[in-house]
Amino acid sequence: MKSILTLSLALASLAGATTYPLTLTDDLGRKVTLKAEPQRIVSMLPSDSETLCAIGACDKLVGVDDYSDYPQQVTRLPKMGGLYDPKIESIVGQRPDLVLVSKYGKIVESLAQAGITVIAVNPETYEEVFSKTLVLGKIVNREAQAKNLVTQMRRDIAKVEILTKNAVKKPTAYYEVDPTPYSIGPNSFMGVLLTKAGARNIIPASMGDFPKVDPEFIVKANPQFILGVDAKTAAARPGWSSMTAIKSGKALALPKGLDTIFSRPGPRMPQALAQMAKIIHPELFK
Amino acid sequence: MRSDVQQSEALTPAAPVAKSRWVWPRTFLLLLLLLSAIVFGTGLGSVNIAPGEVLGALWRGLASQFTGAELISNDVIVWQIRLPRVVMGVLVGASLSVCGGAFQGVFRNPLADPYLLGVASGSALGATLAIVLDWPRALIPVSALVVALLSVAVTLSLAREGRRFPPTRLILAGVVVGSVLSAATTALILRGEDRARQVLAYTLGDLGFSGWRDVLTVLPYAALGCGVLLLLARALDTLQLGDLTARSLGVPVERLRLIVVIAASVATAGAVAYVGIIGFIGLIVPHMVRLAFGASHRILLPLSALLGGALLVYADLLARTSPLSQVGIVTTLLGGPFFLWLLRREKEI
Repeated sequence: MKSILTLSLALASLAGATTYPLTLTDDLGRKVTLKAEPQRIVSMLPSDSETLCAIGACDKLVGVDDYSDYPQQVTRLPKMGGLYDPKIESIVGQRPDLVLVSKYGKIVESLAQAGITVIAVNPETYEEVFSKTLVLGKIVNREAQAKNLVTQMRRDIAKVEILTKNAVKKPTAYYEVDPTPYSIGPNSFMGVLLTKAGARNIIPASMGDFPKVDPEFIVKANPQFILGVDAKTAAARPGWSSMTAIKSGKALALPKGLDTIFSRPGPRMPQALAQMAKIIHPELFK
Repeated sequence: MRSDVQQSEALTPAAPVAKSRWVWPRTFLLLLLLLSAIVFGTGLGSVNIAPGEVLGALWRGLASQFTGAELISNDVIVWQIRLPRVVMGVLVGASLSVCGGAFQGVFRNPLADPYLLGVASGSALGATLAIVLDWPRALIPVSALVVALLSVAVTLSLAREGRRFPPTRLILAGVVVGSVLSAATTALILRGEDRARQVLAYTLGDLGFSGWRDVLTVLPYAALGCGVLLLLARALDTLQLGDLTARSLGVPVERLRLIVVIAASVATAGAVAYVGIIGFIGLIVPHMVRLAFGASHRILLPLSALLGGALLVYADLLARTSPLSQVGIVTTLLGGPFFLWLLRREKEI
């Protein structure tokens, strides 16, 4: 019985196995060829680190960027710097056979010169979170796991969405990414999550995905929720104390950790959505 | 000493008599420009508000200071968001322009501006430090001023030659100190990555979120700094004759330089504290005034204040109604080409 199980598992993984050499076009538009299944991977993107771990390739990681902090296993790995100050020498020192990078920053050239395979995989839109998960699955020979993860994520998201779709009232919300102030447009992946959480984003799509917002626009829109700014800070801003969200106590900094998950296009997106939906529609989660 | 200064006045060729006849009408014109900037700056934006409604909002805003009545809707936008932003624009534009004019005079160098001597980069470093360390808002200009004065002290000690501060050495030392300070600011920005965009916006110059409290904090810096510079206008005129002549006419040249630098540091620290680094205003406004009105500092400095204030408010209006989004980007985009044109023009003459 046990041997049959083992055999069928082996067959199943064989069925979804990636064939190397694998050639693909990455997010920088470069054609990259992987000669064999990568075994020593450095991930320079927190979302890629999370995805790799979620599809069972966590043990392939030999280094991560400074901001990768989930799951726990990742935090014990050597830190390789950030987007703008990568520690190229430390990366090379890990002798990786693959480095996953963002399409921003200037790391590709120098690593490529050192003869290291570099692939830019950075999900930005909501749908890309799923498609890039599949791409990562293909790259590290975990296609079946990646497909399962995507199915699971979509299912978990749908569970929340069913609740919020039927919400009687959808409050207007302003989400602040940083106090310059920058916000999120409805087409950004965070904007999609905000809408799915049952809120109406005050930022119109025409303003772009991560627009710098004129403060008077926010005051004029007078949202029912202000997310990402604590009440005290918000009330201290010129003209804000008279806004509905502040008077009704619905200006809040996000609970610890939620701001990180919410802004990370990775496998914890359903979790972020569920938490956000609870904040906006507590009545639906009783 | 007093008679020396009066004598120098008679000798000063810097204020052509022919042009001084036009000073009042042109002052009036600039006043109108400033006034129109305030009116448009307060009425237009992402929400357009009719002039009548603006006036009503201003009245209700003023009245609410005494009655404590709460403002609603557009009144909030006009009184608590736009007007302080506009007033801040006037203060900052005026401060930077007056400092620019005074620097150009005291070092007799047309390229001088508040960025010379590392004043602005010092202020920026101080303010960035305060932002990254999350200090209380009122400490931002203080920190800016302290670092600005420190950087000026370093610049002056580098440039010192006995008891004198030769202009060329001053400017060279200023460039070096300024670069080092900018590098330090950038390093701070990279370390405080959580606040990176906030600090980056700051280093690009931004008037957003300027409230009445900020205006009242910056006002004394602007008033004190610019006030002293305006009082020194006559002495600056005399200095245009050259250090030797000015000294023989009784102007304490070295002390004058020092006072101008300190006064300008005070005004620049205030200007840079909350709104960040706004490029080119301090450089080009004095040139525009000089082209139109002549070079006497008694005319140049006050008119630079008027034009600088008006220009910055218009630039901010353009910034917040266009995708350029930040006033510092607008002033640099408009100021750069103007400055190049100025350079070409000077060459032809």
